[in-house]
This record gives sequence, C-alpha cells and structure tokens, in this order.
Amino acid sequence: MSTTSAPDKLRWVGKPVPRVDAVGKVTGATKYMGDLTFPGMLWGRVLRAAHPHALIKSIDTSKAEKVPGVVRVLTHKDVKGLNGYGIAVPDQPVLCHDKVRYMGDAVALVIAETREEAAAALDKIEVVYEPLPVVDDPERAMLPDSPLVHEGGNIHLHTHIERGDVEAGFAASAVIVENTYRLPRQMHAFLEPEQGVGVSDGNGGVTVYCGAQHPYRDQMQISRALGIKPSRIRVVASPVGGAFGGKDEITLQILLAMGALATGRPVKIVLSREESVVAGWKRHPMVIHMRTGAAADGRILAHQVRLVSDTGAYASLGGPVTNLALEGCTGVYRMENILMDGYCVYTNNGVAGAFRGFGQLQANYAMEHQMDLLAEALGMDPVAIRRVNALRGGDVNPLGHTMVENVGALSVLDAAERCDLWARRHELEAEPPSEPWKRRAVGLAVEMQGTGLGVGLPDYGAAKIDLVRGPDGRPRWRVGLSCPEIGQGNSTTYAQMAAEGLECDVGDVEVYVGDTSAGPDSGSCTASRSVYTGGNAIFHAATAMRELLRKKAPAVLGCTEEEAAQAELSEIARAAVAKGITLSADGAFIWPESKYKLQGVFGLPHIINTYIAHVALVEVDVLTGQVEVLRSFAAIDCGKVVNPQGVQGQSEGGMVMGMGYALMEDTLIQGGHTLTKNFSTYIIPTSLDAPLMETVTCESFEPTGPWGAKGVGEAVMVPIAPAIALAIRRATGALMDHAPSTSERVFTKGGVRLGG
Amino acid sequence: MARVTLTVNDRQVTLDVHPGERLVDTLRDRLGLTGTKEGCGVGECGACTVVVDGDAVNSCLVLTVQCDGAAILTVEGLAPAGQLSRLQRAFLEHGAVQCGFCTPGMLMSATALLARNPRPTREEIRAALAGNLCRCTGYEQIVQAVEAVANEAE
Repeated sequence: MSTTSAPDKLRWVGKPVPRVDAVGKVTGATKYMGDLTFPGMLWGRVLRAAHPHALIKSIDTSKAEKVPGVVRVLTHKDVKGLNGYGIAVPDQPVLCHDKVRYMGDAVALVIAETREEAAAALDKIEVVYEPLPVVDDPERAMLPDSPLVHEGGNIHLHTHIERGDVEAGFAASAVIVENTYRLPRQMHAFLEPEQGVGVSDGNGGVTVYCGAQHPYRDQMQISRALGIKPSRIRVVASPVGGAFGGKDEITLQILLAMGALATGRPVKIVLSREESVVAGWKRHPMVIHMRTGAAADGRILAHQVRLVSDTGAYASLGGPVTNLALEGCTGVYRMENILMDGYCVYTNNGVAGAFRGFGQLQANYAMEHQMDLLAEALGMDPVAIRRVNALRGGDVNPLGHTMVENVGALSVLDAAERCDLWARRHELEAEPPSEPWKRRAVGLAVEMQGTGLGVGLPDYGAAKIDLVRGPDGRPRWRVGLSCPEIGQGNSTTYAQMAAEGLECDVGDVEVYVGDTSAGPDSGSCTASRSVYTGGNAIFHAATAMRELLRKKAPAVLGCTEEEAAQAELSEIARAAVAKGITLSADGAFIWPESKYKLQGVFGLPHIINTYIAHVALVEVDVLTGQVEVLRSFAAIDCGKVVNPQGVQGQSEGGMVMGMGYALMEDTLIQGGHTLTKNFSTYIIPTSLDAPLMETVTCESFEPTGPWGAKGVGEAVMVPIAPAIALAIRRATGALMDHAPSTSERVFTKGGVRLGG
Repeated sequence: MARVTLTVNDRQVTLDVHPGERLVDTLRDRLGLTGTKEGCGVGECGACTVVVDGDAVNSCLVLTVQCDGAAILTVEGLAPAGQLSRLQRAFLEHGAVQCGFCTPGMLMSATALLARNPRPTREEIRAALAGNLCRCTGYEQIVQAVEAVANEAE
C-alpha cells in the first residue's frame, strides 16, 4: 500500500503498529463469547416459527417440560417488560405471542442440561398456527389490497426528497438515461455464528456475554424487555468473530439474560449456521429506478429516483438504510434538480438491517451505472464525466448541505485515473486473454460514504483513562470505551491514539473495549464511526489527563512550577505511580451536524464522508458467462491514516466482499423460505477468487477528526461492485442491471453472441 | 460409549466418547481446546481445521472414534512453550489477523501445507487455503504471511 502524505511529528498515529489483539488470536488463547464455560452451565435452544406468516392460536410446552434434562421452557408469558426490540423501532418480539412474520421468529426458548436434551425438547413444543398469505414481493406489498405484515401497513417508511425542478432539468438535457436496477440480499457471512452465555449474579442481576456492536444499547434493550434496571445488567460484547452490521441489532442477548435469570444458572446458546442464516439480518434487497439527464458537456441537469427496499418482517434499521440509500443515489456529484422517493416495505422475506455500506452499496451500483451510460451516450470518457460533476469543497450538495468539511472526490478520482489499471486499460484490454473465448476489460467507479449516524440522531462517544502502577512499578495507562473489537482493529488504533495523546509508549497502554463495566458509552461500532468517535473521545480524555498531570507535577516531583513545566509527561507519570498516586480522566465527544435539515427526513445529510474510487480488471468467459476479477485498485481518502496495515486490511477485505456482492452472493428466499442456508449454497469468495489488489491512500486532514482521521470500514466495499459490473459491460456489451452477475446472467445478457 | 486414545498436541489422552461425537466437540467441550472454532458444521468454512496425522481436516466432519490412535495438532499446539512459531509470527507481521475467527483454521491448513511442501508457490498456497473462508481480510495478507515463511525455507 502506498500513501501520499506530508511528513509529521507523530510517533504512533500513522505507523504500522502490530495489532494488540493478534497474539491471542494466533495462539487460540482469545476467548470469544461462545468459547466461555461456567460451572453448572445449561444449554438453550430457540424454537423458531414453522411458517413465514401465521397467527399463533396456542403454545403448549407441557410435553417439552417433561423431556429428561429440561430445566425450563420460556415463552412470551415470561417476558416481563416490553416484548419487543429493534434499534429504531422495537417491533420485533423477543418471543412471539400472537403472530409470526418470518421463519426466524423466536417462539420459545428451551433450557436443558445438555444441547441434545434441549434439541429433543424443541420437537415436543406444540404450537398451533393459522397460516396467513405470504407477503414476498415488496411491490405487491405496497398495494392497498395486500395482506398486512403489520397492522399499521406494509410501508414502514416513505421518504420524499425534492430540490429544484427536475422537469425543467430533463427538458434542458441533451441525453437522458433511464434504468431499473435490482440488488441482492447479501449475507454478512461472519465466520462466528451468533453465540454467547448469560450468567445470573444470584441477586436479580445478570451478565450477558455475547459478541455485538453496541453493548450499551444492548444493555438498554435487555433492560426494556426484562423490566430490570440497566445498572443490574452487564454486557460483554468483545471480541467478535466478525459482524459487518449483522450483530448491530439484538441477536441472543435478551434470551440469554432471560434464561439465566429464570434458572439462576449460566445459560449458553450457540446458533448453527443454518439457524443464523434464517434468523439473522441481511443487506436490504432493493429495486432502484433512476432517470438521469445531462447536458452535452456531461453536467447532470436532472435526477429522478424511485427506490423500494425490502426490509422483511421487522423494521430494525430499515428506515435509516433507506434514507442513506437515497443520499447515496446522488453519488459524489453536484445536482441541482432532484426528485427522489424511497419506500421501506415490510414482507415475510426474513429480516434486513445494518450491513457494511448501509444502503449506499445498492445506491452506488445504480448511480455509477448511470454515469457510465451517460458517458456512453455523450461519447465522453468515464473519468471526465465524473470529474465534471464531482463535488468540490464549498459546493452545496444535492441534499442542500454546504460542503465545508474535507471533500476528497476529486483526489480519489485523480488517483484512480493515474493508476496502472486505468492508465493502461486499453493495453490491458488488448492483451491476449488466458483463453481465446475470454474477454478482458476495465471498469471504474467512485463513492462517498456518509459516516456517523446523521442529523437528528444522538451521536456521541466517551472514553476513560486511568493511570495505574503496573506490575513492574512503571506507569500503565488503562483506556476504556465501549466500541467492541469486531475485527477491524479499533483496539489497536485506540492504543496508538492514546499513546500519542499521553506521550507514552504504545506498549504501556491497555485498551478495554466492548464491556459496559470497563468503559463509558462510546456508541456503536457501525457507520464507519468507531475510530472517529472513539478517537475523539480518547483525544479529549488524554488532553484532560495531561492537564491533570501538569497541574499535579510540582507536588508529585517536589519541584517548582517552572521546573515542573520542563518535565516530560512520562517523568511526571513515573513519579506519580511511584508515590502510589492513581489518576483518572474522562473525555467525551459529540458529532458535528449539518445546520441544514431536511424536512421530515431523519439522519440526512451526513457531513463527514469517506471518499473512494475503485478500478477492476475482469476477464469474462463469453461461452459460460463466468467472470474472474484479475486485478483491482482502491484509492481512499479516509483522512489521516492511523494504521496503514489496518487500512490495507480493510481495503482488501472490502474489495473481496464487494466482489462477492457483484458476482455471486444472494440469499435466496422463496415463499418466505430461505434456500441458501449454509456456505454450500451461499458461496462467498475464497483465496482462489481474490484478485491481485493494490491500495493507495489519498491522505487528507479532517479538522474535526482525531489527529485528522475519518472512518474507512464501509466505503472499502462499495464502488468495487459497480466497477466490476461496468467492466463486464465493457467486455460484453451487457448492462448488468440485476446483481449479482452470476454466470447465468452474464451468459444470458452478453454471452455466446459475442463468442459466436 | 467407545474408548479412544488420542495424542493431542503431543499429549496422550484416553476418553470414553459417544460413537456419534464429532472431533470438534471433543476438542472444544471435553479438552477445553476452544482455539478450534466451528463456523458452519458442514465442512465448508474451514474454521474447525486441525491437523490429523499430518493432514488438514475439518474437525466438524470427523468422528472422534475415527481418530483412535491418531496424532492431532490444534492451534494451541503451535506454540506449546509460549514461543510463537514462524508461521504465527508471520501472521502478526503481515496483518493476517482481523476478527481472528478463521485464523486457527488458516494456521492449521498452512501448517499442514508447509510440513508437506516447505516451499510452496503462491498458487499452491492459495489452493491450500481455498477451503478456509475468511470474511475480513480478502486473503492477501494471509497468503503473504505463508509466502514469507515459504521464502525463508531451505
């Protein structure tokens, strides 16, 4: 990976510091939450719905309770508080009472001495259902005569955004392109299925060990469902064996807490992969219709969007995802005339929620296709048309926000244009393919990813730093904050930033994350926000700690104020711990928001953006439709790079996950039943599929960021998908308006005709 | 119940197991070797990979009774005295670890490969790891870590 940046005096930020959690992970010593065992531990199994849409007439657990080894069988009657959860709207039952809305709905929890006994008892629970018509097509679900998934109607959210005059814009346009894009239901496919243990404290309190993305919100949701105070609930959510948004919502936490409190014994639940696939959230499938008009010089004059998002049985984050998708539908471009309607619709097709990219992946796939199609219609270069339209600092963006923050659209576009893949694309495309019936081509796409939760949503973070005496008598700095380590490496970047702020060695910092008892609430590990938010909180806590130490320096060192002012911070810290003094400091940070508010649209606009351009070289077999990505390139503006190796890992992992989205991944659900329940039928990229990858960072300094940093976790998987699809178009002439570009689709749309 | 004797990480253990018990459960639940992970239960993800008599196998697809008399190496056996193996150090140096859930399986597949073929080519490495899914890294840093060890071999 290469980086363009000015030299600085930073000692830890920007350096390839080895991960602080890696030794435990390569030795097997790291305990994930499902690896934990406790004396007297019981096993829980969840009874899921037998129909995708049905009324529950009765639930009889008496036979199950008699199965040998069974300790308790819990149903909705045992939910003492609100029988619901959901990050935005708590409309998903903890245990269903009168209705099930998808095959993953939880109906009962069996707790037994062994896994086998719990499984045997599942079959003995008698649930009488009255099946209802299955709502499986979001377009039909919006019609007035559709059966209802929820009584309030199947349209969970309709967002309308209008600026300028699109009709006048279309009338003035030299060309108009209009297409409908269909985007798949991608699965997170984290390697660790949902699992954890609930442990009662014997006194009405409980500890829930369950890998997740926001322990304090989990604590709140458990508290709300159980009707006990948050202070009686400790949540340990870290480390996590991959999440990508799929562990943002409640998974097992409430059931674990209920089981532990009902039995007074530790209760463990481990989902099988099949159960995880059926019950867990997915990326929203969307149908996006776009009509875009441009002047002869390429300027976009009008852009009209209709977007329908299938959120499945429950809301979770379906509303915010729809809104962020609408924002993404404007790309990185200037637009004065827009008319956009987004619908988030309930169906019985599983559940959809947060997933890396959060609606922007679907939107960017559509928008970047529109840009290439406009370029084709106008005879323009794909980079040139993007450059003409790209947002600059000071521009008013399509949603009305004036871009006063760092704007990197042009810098990543320039880097992509200069990269070997794009600069030599004609040469690379003309090179002989590996077989005569294959075609090579290069595609490019660009994106900006809004980070943070957006306008109107509380977005903040806090961190705590303790100075303590280590076992060797030297100062140790304990940094506590709640954003869990979900694999992205935030615990390492936190250690780097703390060491920078505390003027100490990174090895003297201990980071505690993802535990409500170890640090204050720093919010969720989502929305590319954990380094930016947690880092800012650490920056403020470290500043407070430095001031505290400076104030105490004369007393600690036994010298004058003038002499103390000359002392290094490490010297003061050493003297303090030698005297048995321990100190604590807190820091908190509240996200900046746009002053511009959209009427009736929560969460928009976002103002801190990550900018990224991807370029892909593909080889298409025109006889079979099979596509191989040979090489790919990423240019990323994520502000100041805190850990180059970490950014490279994010970039490469993102490119391969985005490649999966472009070429192979779709969770198939038919009539409410999931067809692709494991990795034998849901195929994700392997080591043999990964392309040769190159990453360049176009470093910038975000003034509101910690040491200039922004976020990087989501953008890295976004424009690679349209870049690949646009390369397929260049190779075959086919418009891949229905992702993923499976062999069948590529063959049907652009296959043998070219070969023949 | 059936009596089996296994050599796990150079330590001999004798156990009475149900004939249907999977090796992954024996390792994790009976022997407390939770470094071995289960990701799919059907031999597709490779997270449960261990080395049995020199071969990398999915321990979710092997019954413990099938391993009677076998020598089994798990991730815990790679650094028995706390001294990391060259391959483990390469994983640290190359940033090959993110969430870490696939890491034990990756290490075991690579260990089996390097024992059989100390100087594999990049393509041989990619093929040897093709049965181990990773959702975080995009594989490149993992392949580079194994390559680094291969390049140092005599």
